[in-house]
Amino acid sequence: MTFRKSFDCYDFYDRAKIGEKCTQDDWDLMKIPMKAMELKQKYGLDFKGEFVPTDRDMMEKLFNAGFEMLLDLGIYCTDTHRIVKYSEAEIWDAINNVQKEFTLGTGRDAVRVSKREVGDKKKPIIQGGPTGSPISEDVFMPVHMSYALEKEVDTIVDGVMTSVRGKPPIPGSPYEVLAAKTETRLIKQAAAMAGRPGMGI
Amino acid sequence: MPIFGGYAGGIEETTIVDIATHLNSIVMSSASWHLDGPVHIRWGSTNTRETLTIAGWACATISEFTDILSGNQYYPCAGPCTEMCLLEASAQSITDTASGREILSGVAAAKGVVQDKTTGMEARMMGEVARATAGMDIAEVNGILDKLVGLYEKNYASAPAGKTFQECYDVKTVTPTEEYVQVYDGARKQLEDLGLVF
Repeated sequence: MTFRKSFDCYDFYDRAKIGEKCTQDDWDLMKIPMKAMELKQKYGLDFKGEFVPTDRDMMEKLFNAGFEMLLDLGIYCTDTHRIVKYSEAEIWDAINNVQKEFTLGTGRDAVRVSKREVGDKKKPIIQGGPTGSPISEDVFMPVHMSYALEKEVDTIVDGVMTSVRGKPPIPGSPYEVLAAKTETRLIKQAAAMAGRPGMGI
Repeated sequence: MPIFGGYAGGIEETTIVDIATHLNSIVMSSASWHLDGPVHIRWGSTNTRETLTIAGWACATISEFTDILSGNQYYPCAGPCTEMCLLEASAQSITDTASGREILSGVAAAKGVVQDKTTGMEARMMGEVARATAGMDIAEVNGILDKLVGLYEKNYASAPAGKTFQECYDVKTVTPTEEYVQVYDGARKQLEDLGLVF
């Protein structure tokens, strides 16, 4: 059966208010482990110790198992304690219409992110940075500059300032907003100081 | 970030969940890309044999059967200025590059939880190794990974803490110390001995 319209985040919000009720424990301790175990057995999944797969048939079984898990279980909304379900057609509609490439950054520092294949000769995009690690306020700029100075690095993934104007950025406080804005300014400054003002952040 | 040893259970079960979460990102959020990061429940690392296997299979499968763009996050056990940290990051970079990953995002050394324990040198290694791995035969990649992970997987409990950014770099000139350059060269030499050509 076809879908009425392509699924979007607003549909998710609407379904999260009316979906089947479920406790988080039931979701985490029963539904997920039972379904994962059932699908592993159903599809006979065995990776045989390979890090990167060479068995295309086994990969196809894995894809079907992952698809079936999303279709059968749906997604648990921890705010409403309800399950959001998708139809098979809605999932395929999303898979068939993904964005195949996009740009990070601006000007001469912009990089194009595009699809790679298994064993691809093209180097992936290198997003260098502390990746959410805690970074002191006084070295926040030079830490990020150390990534921007590396030519192997294409874009920046930032760390988290542990203080701003000497105060902890407590969630919900004005300092949280100030810290977020200061982080962005300092990382942009770090990229510019490294001669790459258009780097994607 | 799918957790190996978490609610889903073992390697295959966690990879099934990883595939489902990739698909969900584009259905629920119409996402441009999905940032992955299978992590080990005991070691808090993305660089273990189990989590690399989950990442490799999930990404290769998503690459093979969809056009979804996928990234991966890096959380080694060891801290900066140690060979173990650089070898851990290298193992993941090899896995990601060979399995078709589009974006490599890191490196959050010392599991990303210790203040000021990340530097640009770890990202340089991630990039250099990705460049060296791109286009390699998958069977050869798996052979290198097996030996590489074997070099550090017995040391998770006693992983070297490493040094802070202030100890690894001249903060004024933003230049790594001679000590870190030598550690980097040591790790690079080990990777060359395993068969990686820079």
